[in-house]
Amino acid sequence: MGNYYHPSSIKEALRLAANNSGNYMYFSGGTDLQIYRKQGLENSETIIDLNAIEATERILVKNASLQMSAFTFLEEISLSKDIQLHFPLLAQAAKSVATPVIRKTATIGGNILVNNRCTFYNQSKEWRQAVGSCMRDVGDICQVTGGKNKCYSRNVSDTAPALIALNASVVVHNQEGEEEIPLKDLYSPDGIIFHQHLDKDAILKKINIPEKPKTWWFKKLRLRKTLDFTSLTLAAVVDNKDIVRICINGMSMSPILIEESFHSLSIENLLKQARKNCKTVDNDLMPMKYRKEMMNVFLKQWWSTVYSN
Amino acid sequence: MSGPVGKATPYIDGVQKATGQAMYTDDFRYPNMLYVGLLRSSYAHAKIKNIDIKAVEADPAVAAVAIGKDIPVSFGVLPISPDENAMAVDKVRYVGEIVAAVAAESIEAAQKAVQGIKVKYEPIREFLNPADSLETCAPDEQIHDHTKNGKNIHKTAELRFNDPEKEFESADFVRKEKFKFAGVTHAFTEPHSTIAIWNGDETLTVISATQVPHYLHKNLSKVLGLPIHKIQVKKPTLGGGFGGKSDPFAHEMITAYLSMKTKRPVKCTFSREEVFITNHGRHPTDIDMTVSCDKKGNITALDTDVIIDGGAYGSFGVVTSYYNGVLLQGPYKIDKFGFRTRRTYTNKPQCGAMRGHGAVNPRYAVEIVLDMLAHDLKIDPCDLRMKNFLPENTLTVGQLRITSNGVKECLETVRKKSDWDERYNKLPYGHGRGVACGFFISGSALPIIWNRYPQTVVHAKLDFDGRIVMFSGASDIGQGSDTMLVQIAAEELGIPMDFVQVEAADTKTTPVDLGSYSSRVTFMVGNAAKMAVEKVRKEMAKAIAKEKGIAIDSIKFNDGKIFTKDETLDLSWVEGVEIAMAGRGAFVESGFYISPKLGGDFKGSGAGLSPAYSFGAFISEVVVDPETGEVNVEKIWAAHDCGKALNPLAVEGQIEGSIHMGLGQALSEDMRYVKGQIMNANFFDYRIPYSVDTPEMDVTIIESNDGEGPYGAKEAGEGPIHPVLPSIGNAIFDAVGVRMCELPITPDKIFTKIKELK
Repeated sequence: MGNYYHPSSIKEALRLAANNSGNYMYFSGGTDLQIYRKQGLENSETIIDLNAIEATERILVKNASLQMSAFTFLEEISLSKDIQLHFPLLAQAAKSVATPVIRKTATIGGNILVNNRCTFYNQSKEWRQAVGSCMRDVGDICQVTGGKNKCYSRNVSDTAPALIALNASVVVHNQEGEEEIPLKDLYSPDGIIFHQHLDKDAILKKINIPEKPKTWWFKKLRLRKTLDFTSLTLAAVVDNKDIVRICINGMSMSPILIEESFHSLSIENLLKQARKNCKTVDNDLMPMKYRKEMMNVFLKQWWSTVYSN
Repeated sequence: MSGPVGKATPYIDGVQKATGQAMYTDDFRYPNMLYVGLLRSSYAHAKIKNIDIKAVEADPAVAAVAIGKDIPVSFGVLPISPDENAMAVDKVRYVGEIVAAVAAESIEAAQKAVQGIKVKYEPIREFLNPADSLETCAPDEQIHDHTKNGKNIHKTAELRFNDPEKEFESADFVRKEKFKFAGVTHAFTEPHSTIAIWNGDETLTVISATQVPHYLHKNLSKVLGLPIHKIQVKKPTLGGGFGGKSDPFAHEMITAYLSMKTKRPVKCTFSREEVFITNHGRHPTDIDMTVSCDKKGNITALDTDVIIDGGAYGSFGVVTSYYNGVLLQGPYKIDKFGFRTRRTYTNKPQCGAMRGHGAVNPRYAVEIVLDMLAHDLKIDPCDLRMKNFLPENTLTVGQLRITSNGVKECLETVRKKSDWDERYNKLPYGHGRGVACGFFISGSALPIIWNRYPQTVVHAKLDFDGRIVMFSGASDIGQGSDTMLVQIAAEELGIPMDFVQVEAADTKTTPVDLGSYSSRVTFMVGNAAKMAVEKVRKEMAKAIAKEKGIAIDSIKFNDGKIFTKDETLDLSWVEGVEIAMAGRGAFVESGFYISPKLGGDFKGSGAGLSPAYSFGAFISEVVVDPETGEVNVEKIWAAHDCGKALNPLAVEGQIEGSIHMGLGQALSEDMRYVKGQIMNANFFDYRIPYSVDTPEMDVTIIESNDGEGPYGAKEAGEGPIHPVLPSIGNAIFDAVGVRMCELPITPDKIFTKIKELK
């Protein structure tokens, strides 16, 4: 039998984490975690439920900047008038996640830290055993590529590319205290250890967006109009200093950021950078070749929208 | 009709289901109940060298362990291919096949315990696609010993009339096209679940989520060696079947066996992944379809070659093999006609019957090819179809007897309502319209197991309380057959529906019905129910006429009253019941249905025979994004000839449900396999359309009033799925000029075709 804790503060949550020496998992919205447990991919004996922690300033828009609690539900974000007015890119990205029911319990923090996915890994224990386990599980090869060196599981967050394009930073609370880091630095291009600067006991507390951009663009590729994790998400902004930030997700182990001056960027260069940086393999139900072609289509669509104006 | 027949009637169990009060199999709890855990194969094709159950037998939480050799008697829904066992006996034939089972004190203990069973396998060559199964292999590589010529072909079904191939040589227009269809599954809401109770009187009660208690009853008797009169099968509320709960299943045999062994109640409920592994869904299919026509657009010949991927066991496969061909004999008149279907065994979960059984994929193929011919001839696709419809009251080339036929009215209706003539081929690039028709049996005229009995019997019981209880073996699987029984009784006796109650699908108390498959229940059970309550009415009228000294024929039953037109008789229903029961008490009347003798006398002539056929015509409108290949179905106009809608609400629901299910197979659903394992065995990755993916639907019920159907009724549960898929396929062509011959039509396939076109 396991333990289930409901700490009322981050401090208490960190203490519980320390007491359980690694054999625990934080629980926020829990919409993803429950499936991982059912499939035997997450077996911690202790669950530390963060829902009782009172979050102040869930959504605060001030001087065209945004501060937001990581415990904010995705539905609150997609429905927030302030966010819709100043950061419609974020509202749309949040609305593109899962379904209305899931967005009522899934949090922005959970979506930012959503586990990487792979068609060969996100399966039941019996399935994985029968097909031959992969290196992210208990095996030693990648079932997708047959290689032994690298896991290519995909980052599938829809809000992360939007926030990275918006130049967001996150406040992380760990045993040493609080630390603010650019969101883009949270991800590492590794299919197994896909987060960095984030100790296991660290709690994602806040998200800050410094300013409202000049223009924005967002598109998500999926088979159905709801529920599906992304096969390709593209979020792009042009900020007030005419810096273009395009973030591509669902194609690689981490979100891919392309940051250039609006005046010096060429479409050829953009397509080349995207192609070079995305390590895409056939680990989604949509074929790799098609996803790569759609990346080009999306980038060209963004390009024609922005540069025709 | 002055009663509820023909009026939109909410289901009698609707409130119970909506409020969560309805009892599904898994909701039942019994004292001392044990739970089943199943060990499944991790090999697609392997010999079982050894099974070690010692450690598990010693587990105090485990009450019993079973392996294949404990219950080795084979079974199957069709008596001609009983090729399954409750658990693998000497070898496993797919990943996920059940190898051993335990009954334990809790679900958790059962699941943990089975992991302690150690099995040694010796892998054999795997056959994962039908092309390999068509080739000769070594005898010990064969999936089943009984297949012929060293190949893994389960069944070849072939019929040919009037040499269609010769016609193709000289026909004015011929189109030959290849099609490929992924397997799809039923995706019902309620997982498989069974409870078995070994009773004190040494009888067995099995409560199970089944569409067909009767075949389960017979197969339990065979496998367990228990006399059939000692077995009771009950179907409680059922959460959807679509054909996926119409076979007798291995877990039902295992659960019953474990109950007999432990003398305790035993329950087995599947996880969603186990439901997917159990499959029995629509066969992955390859079709070569050839159709010819003359210069005027008259279809002159059709021939098709079909390969269906049956998976590891037979299920309904022999029937599926025939249906892939014979059900192309309508709704068009085709005198030179032929087909060959080969069903292969492969090392994957078995396929079986699914809504629109055997006819959905070839229907797609033929309707696409007809659209191509219409383009070749420069004829409107609706006009081409209109020219070729079968008339009413005719025989097809293979001697299927067509009675009522509303297909012309169906097509005229959707054509007019959708403003087809102004829209088709006139919409901007990316927007398109497509049309397709459908044809399906209204109940199989022949039983699966040959016998001399009627196909169904219904008892209507009248007692002192004035209540009519309808006893029927028919399984309400969500299609509303219980409600139909109540409607018919209320209609015939002129009483409110709340005087009528139903006892259904219990082999101990209800007379035999063959089950809810092949769209047979409304037609067959409806007729039997009508006959039973007509007899009750006659008995009541006889008694009242005698007591009151009036003519029997003058007595009317309506609006809760029994009366004569001249008002010399004016009784309430309850007063009438008292007179009818005087001196005899409660009584029961029976009705039955026997299909007329139909069909020719050639081999295979029994396939596709039905006392009546449904027809339909649908038009779809789609928007395709030519840059991404993404397709959105905007609207579907549907017209379906169900003879007579006994409950228009239910018929509309069936048509709408068919549109949703057809949309899924057309655009997104796909049983994806890797190394013989299903890759998307959950409702997240098996992509059923959501409400936001579902188009606006304009549904019209066409009533052709069949002469033999109850009140003129025919089927509505399966026929409406057939036109959905090809109307979408044809609309995509109208939108962007590409022919989609591989299903599901995912955006990547459209994108590739558009690129090729450019």
